[in-house]
Amino acid sequence: MLQGTTPDIRLEGLTVGYGKTAVVSGIDVTLPGGKISVILGGSGCGKSTLLKHILMLQPALAGRIMIGSHDLAGLDRRGMHCLRQRMGVLFQDGALLGSLSLGDNVALPLREHTRLDEAAIRQRVLAKLALVGLEEFHDYYPNELSGGMRKRAGLARAMVMDPPLLFCDEPTSGLDPVNAAELDLLLLELKGSFEMTLVVVSHDLDSMRTIADHVVVLGEGKVLYNGPLAELEATTDEYLRRFLDRQAAARTSPRLTMPALDFKAMKRDCSKYLDQGERS
Amino acid sequence: MPTHSGAHGQKGESALMIHGKRPQLSPVAHLGEATLRFVGDTGAMFLFLLEASARIFSSLGQFHKTVRQIYFIGVKSISVITLIGLFTGMVIGLQMHYALAKFGAEGFLGAAVALSLVRELGPVLTAIMITGRAGSSMTAEIGVMRITDQVDALRVMDINPIGYLVSPKLAASIICFPILTAFFDMVGMAGGYLTGVLLLGGNQGIYFYRIQAYMKMSDVSGGFIKSLVFAVVVCTVTCFMGYYTHTRRDAVGPEAVSQATTAGVVSSCILILLSDYILTSLLF
Repeated sequence: MLQGTTPDIRLEGLTVGYGKTAVVSGIDVTLPGGKISVILGGSGCGKSTLLKHILMLQPALAGRIMIGSHDLAGLDRRGMHCLRQRMGVLFQDGALLGSLSLGDNVALPLREHTRLDEAAIRQRVLAKLALVGLEEFHDYYPNELSGGMRKRAGLARAMVMDPPLLFCDEPTSGLDPVNAAELDLLLLELKGSFEMTLVVVSHDLDSMRTIADHVVVLGEGKVLYNGPLAELEATTDEYLRRFLDRQAAARTSPRLTMPALDFKAMKRDCSKYLDQGERS
Repeated sequence: MPTHSGAHGQKGESALMIHGKRPQLSPVAHLGEATLRFVGDTGAMFLFLLEASARIFSSLGQFHKTVRQIYFIGVKSISVITLIGLFTGMVIGLQMHYALAKFGAEGFLGAAVALSLVRELGPVLTAIMITGRAGSSMTAEIGVMRITDQVDALRVMDINPIGYLVSPKLAASIICFPILTAFFDMVGMAGGYLTGVLLLGGNQGIYFYRIQAYMKMSDVSGGFIKSLVFAVVVCTVTCFMGYYTHTRRDAVGPEAVSQATTAGVVSSCILILLSDYILTSLLF
């Protein structure tokens, strides 16, 4: 399944959400194979929820998800195993297992799914750690690493089975601009070096502008844009423009219309209290 | 008990709620919902146990994980079990001596201490102690893994999280509980000897003779069966609570882990006592 290919991911009439609650509905999108697709949107717009559905962590409320020619809903247990072993996922905080060292974390999929001996596993693990610049930290535990290092280690683990599909959930969130830029370059290098389809969920516009070939923008419970980056940059749509130009929405916030606190009176009361204290 | 968010709920647009709105329920509907939730959770817990049991022997790697859990659940609990067992035996020795002396039957102290420990107090107190020491930590460990996406990471790596996290704990519990119970019984009897014989001047020979004379194999096997059942109950409940931390309605994040840990310990203790009553009725 998906051997030697960089499959498209097609979302057809998809509705995603939690329980009976729909978060985003009517998703008809194709994420092109061999490219980096960025799913963009504000906080809480359903980006990570959509990713969880694509990763088969939650069943779709309606519609279907096709990876290559495979409908995820129609996969049997064996098909699911085959597909999952060809997917790599970088979670928001790396999601490394705290009880295992970095090397053991990266080696975990190899130990569980392959018959490689320990020497071969170690060689492969070190190669993947070198790819993300962490080969010296093989024996460190996740709590001994910085946030950026944990993300890179998560990326090494996601890459260890050489998957044709790589998913990244908010790879640059919580990172300083330098680390974020380095991670973006790493993703571009991966796309250039290995044949793979990358899907990146993000709200980081700089990152999106650096890595994206294809962009899907979510908002207001639906897909607001689906297409190449260049067309998105030229859009005249008001909501998208505001999002891209990082302009705050005009609003009449209740807190702005509330009466201001009477600081003078508070100060007066405090002075009176302090004076009394000094006299007594 | 946690509630499932209904990830396998109805499909189709018509069944969907509007984002962010919850329907208002009457008190009767609340009661009905709570009942459905209880039945659903109980069923889910049984399925959880079945899956964990089925994956105990799924791979050679499970053996190493099980050994690590035996160290954590068993070896690290020995000190607390020794302490509790010793003092429990000493207290029973004192109390039984006081009660038996009223009938001039101090000579039966050994039998009274041994039977109370082996049939009842040993399995129950050991299980409650391990729940407090290891059960709470099992819930917290799995709960933290759940809220930090580690469980999802296992799933997307095509590693069954129940098999990876719960099965070794279940196997280790089944091995450790009876051994720790036997240890508790033994130390408890020594505690009874300390107070009944050394402190209060009972006859040493009679103390041990009565234990041998009145203790039957069925007493020992009954206690052994109880400890096995408690092992399954404690491990299933505490791991289940941790595993479904993210579906709790009363809290999210770290608070959900703490709530799940409390719920796991309290539910385990209640179920230990409940199943103890049922087993005592059936076994003896």
